[in-house]
Amino acid sequence: MPSVIESNRTKLAYPRHEPVIKNATFKVQTGEFVFITGASGSGKSTLLKSMYGAMPPADGELVVGGMEIGKLSSSRLYKLRRHIGVIFQDYKLIGEWSVEKNVMLPLIIAGFPKDVCRAQAQKLLTHVKLSHKSDKFPLELSGGEQQRVAVARALAHNPFLILADEPTGNLDDYSSQVVWELLEKANEELKTTILVVTHHIPEMLSAEYRHLMIENGVLYEIR
Amino acid sequence: MKSVKAHLALILPLFAILFGAEYLIVFDRIVDNYETKLSAEYSLIVVADKALKPVDISRVDRLIDHVEPVDIDSILHRIRKETSEKNMKKIKSIMPSFYSVKLRHYPDKYTLKRLKEELLAIKGVKSVYLFEKMHDPLYEMLAFMKSNFLIFSLLMFVVGVLLILKQMYVWQLEHRERMQIMALFGAPVWLRSGVLFRLAIIDAFIALLLIVSGMFYLMKRSDLVAFLRDIDIDPQTLFHFNDIGLLAAIGFGISIFGTLVVVIRFKEEL
Repeated sequence: MPSVIESNRTKLAYPRHEPVIKNATFKVQTGEFVFITGASGSGKSTLLKSMYGAMPPADGELVVGGMEIGKLSSSRLYKLRRHIGVIFQDYKLIGEWSVEKNVMLPLIIAGFPKDVCRAQAQKLLTHVKLSHKSDKFPLELSGGEQQRVAVARALAHNPFLILADEPTGNLDDYSSQVVWELLEKANEELKTTILVVTHHIPEMLSAEYRHLMIENGVLYEIR
Repeated sequence: MKSVKAHLALILPLFAILFGAEYLIVFDRIVDNYETKLSAEYSLIVVADKALKPVDISRVDRLIDHVEPVDIDSILHRIRKETSEKNMKKIKSIMPSFYSVKLRHYPDKYTLKRLKEELLAIKGVKSVYLFEKMHDPLYEMLAFMKSNFLIFSLLMFVVGVLLILKQMYVWQLEHRERMQIMALFGAPVWLRSGVLFRLAIIDAFIALLLIVSGMFYLMKRSDLVAFLRDIDIDPQTLFHFNDIGLLAAIGFGISIFGTLVVVIRFKEEL
């Protein structure tokens, strides 16, 4: 099976600081569901950032979707991002856009006609049980609802890879369960590769999926 | 209310720049008109004690358009009746040669003085006479105002552009979060900055509309039209339809340039 992510001795460092990640060597195959855990400040989010090109490696080689992140021009990087879905702990929804338009965002960027974008957004909002709130604005929703919108947005354009940074960090049990179910479903039915960065793996999933851990800037394979 | 303020913060400096540009255009036109009038109402005569080739005279300065010999017969026409043929021949033989010099445009006093000196330096030229309506004080004043207005307009332009850039940065801050999120999903520059370009173009259009309506209003004011006629200025010089194109190019050009500067300096902060 081809690798979706291939990291070879990747080193990540903020300017004028010690490296956060000293050595990350791992591969993620198509259709895998992978958890990366680690203590606060261990560099989990930084590693995730590097995968969507917000932080190019200081050293080593990081290839995502067949493209080497450190060597991408900004236009090629933007093209790559159009095939990746990202979920943040703080949701990052566009406040002045309706819920429906937020979900439509990746499809608008991909250039789909408006009616196609709207139909797809409605379908996903039904999946996340928020179709009745499609005209609302993000601030009118609870945190759990906002994160479900963010998950719907990440899935809207059928990305080959979903990167999730603490997707249930601020959520109640019900919303967390909905989010995990959606990610599992995308992984099982669409074979979308999913990489989740989290403090701890939920018990309902802990036994099933691959687990990597960052400790002292080095990435270890746990399971 | 906040949105109106934000728009005014761009429209007002743009309006000031366009106002400056339009006044500069108008002054330029008025001064040009005056120069044309003056150039039609002067007579520069070169008197030589021997016959000269007109080309030798026109060669001395590029300002000279052409030189025409003045027909002596037409000068002597009035005394022909009272003078015998013999005396006429004698008068003709001692008469100097006259040449009328036509200039490309009417120059300032200093250039005229220099030209006279150049003409006097031609071998055989005895004297140079300038018959002019006189260097009109109004023309002098307009020329002075035009140069002052140029400096004033340049200052207005610089301050206006700085204010426009500042407003663009404010807009960028307001829209930064959305632009960042769109960049994260791979939106190209034109899409994530679309709202900035849209706002800039709309405001440039409003500023243009204001300046054009203002100029039309001034053109329709009978007291202003009468005043311009009193000081010998054609009221039509106040506004030409071609000005709209020029003002549109300046207005849209500046606002799009400002937006581009802000967009290029956009950095991801995710």
